[in-house]
Amino acid sequence: MALAISAARVWGPRRQAVPLLLRQLGARGLTRSQLPRWQQQQQFSSLDDKPQFPGASAEFIDKLEFIQPNVISGIPIYRVMDRQGQIINPSEDPHLPQEKVLKFYQSMTLLNTMDRILYESQRQGRISFYMTNYGEEGTHVGSAAALENTDLVFGQYREAGVLMYRDYPLELFMAQCYGNVSDRGKGRQMPVHYGCKERHFVTISSPLATQIPQAVGAAYAAKRANANRVVICYFGEGAASEGDAHAGFNFAATLECPIIFFCRNNGYAISTPTSEQYRGDGIAARGPGYGIMSIRVDGNDVFAVYNATKEARRRAVAENQPFLIEAMTYRIGHHSTSDDSSAYRSVDEVNYWDKQDHPISRLRHFLLSRGWWDEEQEKAWRKQSRKKVMEAFEQAERKLKPSPSLLFSDVYQEMPPQLRKQQESLARHLQTYGEHYPLDHFDK
Amino acid sequence: MAAVSVTAGRLLRLRAAGAEGYWRRLRGTGLARSFLQPASAGEDAAQTRQVAHFTFQPDPETREYGQTQKMNLFQSITSALDNSLAKDPTAVIFGEDVAFGGVFRCTVGLRDKYGKDRVFNTPLCEQGIVGFGIGIAVTGATAIAEIQFADYIFPAFDQIVNEAAKYRYRSGDLFNCGSLTIRSPWGCVGHGALYHSQSPEAFFAHCPGIKVVIPRSPFQAKGLLLSCIEDKNPCIFFEPKILYRAAVEQVPVEPYNIPLSQAEVIQEGSDVTLVAWGTQVHVIREVAAMAQEKLGVSCEIIDLRTIIPWDVDTVCKSVIKTGRLLISHEAPLTGGFASEISSTVQEECFLNLEAPISRVCGYDTPFPHIFEPFYIPDKWKCYDALRKMINY
Repeated sequence: MALAISAARVWGPRRQAVPLLLRQLGARGLTRSQLPRWQQQQQFSSLDDKPQFPGASAEFIDKLEFIQPNVISGIPIYRVMDRQGQIINPSEDPHLPQEKVLKFYQSMTLLNTMDRILYESQRQGRISFYMTNYGEEGTHVGSAAALENTDLVFGQYREAGVLMYRDYPLELFMAQCYGNVSDRGKGRQMPVHYGCKERHFVTISSPLATQIPQAVGAAYAAKRANANRVVICYFGEGAASEGDAHAGFNFAATLECPIIFFCRNNGYAISTPTSEQYRGDGIAARGPGYGIMSIRVDGNDVFAVYNATKEARRRAVAENQPFLIEAMTYRIGHHSTSDDSSAYRSVDEVNYWDKQDHPISRLRHFLLSRGWWDEEQEKAWRKQSRKKVMEAFEQAERKLKPSPSLLFSDVYQEMPPQLRKQQESLARHLQTYGEHYPLDHFDK
Repeated sequence: MAAVSVTAGRLLRLRAAGAEGYWRRLRGTGLARSFLQPASAGEDAAQTRQVAHFTFQPDPETREYGQTQKMNLFQSITSALDNSLAKDPTAVIFGEDVAFGGVFRCTVGLRDKYGKDRVFNTPLCEQGIVGFGIGIAVTGATAIAEIQFADYIFPAFDQIVNEAAKYRYRSGDLFNCGSLTIRSPWGCVGHGALYHSQSPEAFFAHCPGIKVVIPRSPFQAKGLLLSCIEDKNPCIFFEPKILYRAAVEQVPVEPYNIPLSQAEVIQEGSDVTLVAWGTQVHVIREVAAMAQEKLGVSCEIIDLRTIIPWDVDTVCKSVIKTGRLLISHEAPLTGGFASEISSTVQEECFLNLEAPISRVCGYDTPFPHIFEPFYIPDKWKCYDALRKMINY
């Protein structure tokens, strides 16, 4: 009897103690017939009632019925503001102070200005490559603002606004894009592969979705360290198709990790529209399949993003479980400077989002209606932010590139002897053939 | 006919007793011989002592690190893991089935001793295991990941090659995953076939940023594994599974380190250099004994131990002395790590070579099941190659 009670506590009230009893009998070399009659009868009938499978907690059904995936009426999209920047349900207003909301606005617009200038600079051959964030600034800033500064960020490549919100200097954005001596990444990677240790932003890598299981591991370590820290992991709806995404979700749920999975569903993975990326109800619908709390939000509504991220953060840390936020948005720009999206989508479609549903415009309408911003300030800020960006840009361009000897360091923590030999061989080669190399642009 | 059915019956009873030593018992029944020579069916062959293609040779006990205990390979691994978790409160062990002790018993007792948050199962997903391990290491904690068989490491190849190996370099040393170690059973085991026998070290040798280490014995394994765990770079530690129970040695109970990227000359010689790693070291040891006895040839035996970054100097120094080099590994010949050693040695020691460098390796096929005794680079193939080199 005591066995049955303790078994029920272990497995929950719905599971029967029958399997445990049978195992105990077997272990003692007894058979069911040696049990008192009342227990024999109870077991036999209770075996009929409920499923005993270890793999699922569910009832039986005797009608053949397939579950219909619901994609016509999918998971609803949480929003706080309408497209004109007006709060719809006052109880959802986060009531953020003016300076904080102004910081949202200035981060998004400064990012937008930097994007325009750096995109242009690639067109002019000054930097090799660039990716803009047009239309997705709300997803970056709304989520970044809801985190602590020490929360660890794993990104994909279109989250520069998170760094912008954390006050990453323009000089360092530019340094990475130009690969100049000031680049903390030592010129190793293509532009927009930012990283910042002090701001807890893990360096971006090109392979997609690889950051997802890594973020889960980092969250596990944070949980063990009692750090009261959440990890946020950004990825696009395209990257969510990768095996690493499945791996990350499953590990986060089974290992109970304090992590926020933040999916930027912007409608396209380069040229591939979502109709060719998945057939289910987006990414949010996958969360419950893993046992993950999930929500879909209007990614162009910075307050909705903020509220969802804030609540997810609070609960992820308190309850040690993952949260999935799918932020619906639209990629207004091309995938990158190597892409011309007019090849696969209409200019009208892009214009709609640019003019009718842009996170920056919606927040500006909100600010104007509150009297926290006006046309004068807008003009002054545009001029000032453009000036800041241009100054940083011009300085970045003038700087030298790092010394070619830095080609060889950091492969391992210590340089192996064979690699040092290769480094010396390049140095000797440059002594003889240096004129054929752009040494003038590089630091000694 | 009756004799065949008698031997068949004996064979079936022996099979019921267990698959281990299958070939030994098979030979004992005379059935294999009757397959090869039908005319002599029914004669019993003498039972041979050896179950495998090698004889494990323990190293002499060392007193250098304090009290020792008799341990086999899996126990020496457990000991290293135990020491690590005791010293380093951030260290965690994870992978498929590690919680109950592991399919090769390497993690027995550790969950009870250190807790379920430190020794835990993950879902069945190698790319997840390695990605997750990288993430732990990025925060500075020590991650010890297990991949159940080296044959299954390939789903994690992207995470290892594109992520772990490049983490420090691509971030300009802002971030790294140096405290990640991946352990995995490796190499032939007598019956493993395509997917339980592979030696994939060559795939990873081509990847700057990681270290790949393979021990030949319990004493070596513990010291090398501890070095991998403490090393500030992501490491892959391949454990020769055929040695898990077969290799028994006196191993220090306390932690100790054997340096990485240092090959060991385990026997000095003057006429030919033999290089191998893992199980194959024991094969070439026997080959050296055969060469001495039958040919009067003195062999210098080197256990490479670390595949990358590898100890070029020790190997070259030896070849400069002997003038002849034979490298042997189970992995297929083409693109196997012997080709890297061969290429480097001919560059550095060209004028010292008396004969072409010899590679005795697995064939360029997947690892077969029933044909394993013909596939592996056994002592006869190595001996034959050595003889040809001497007579060149």
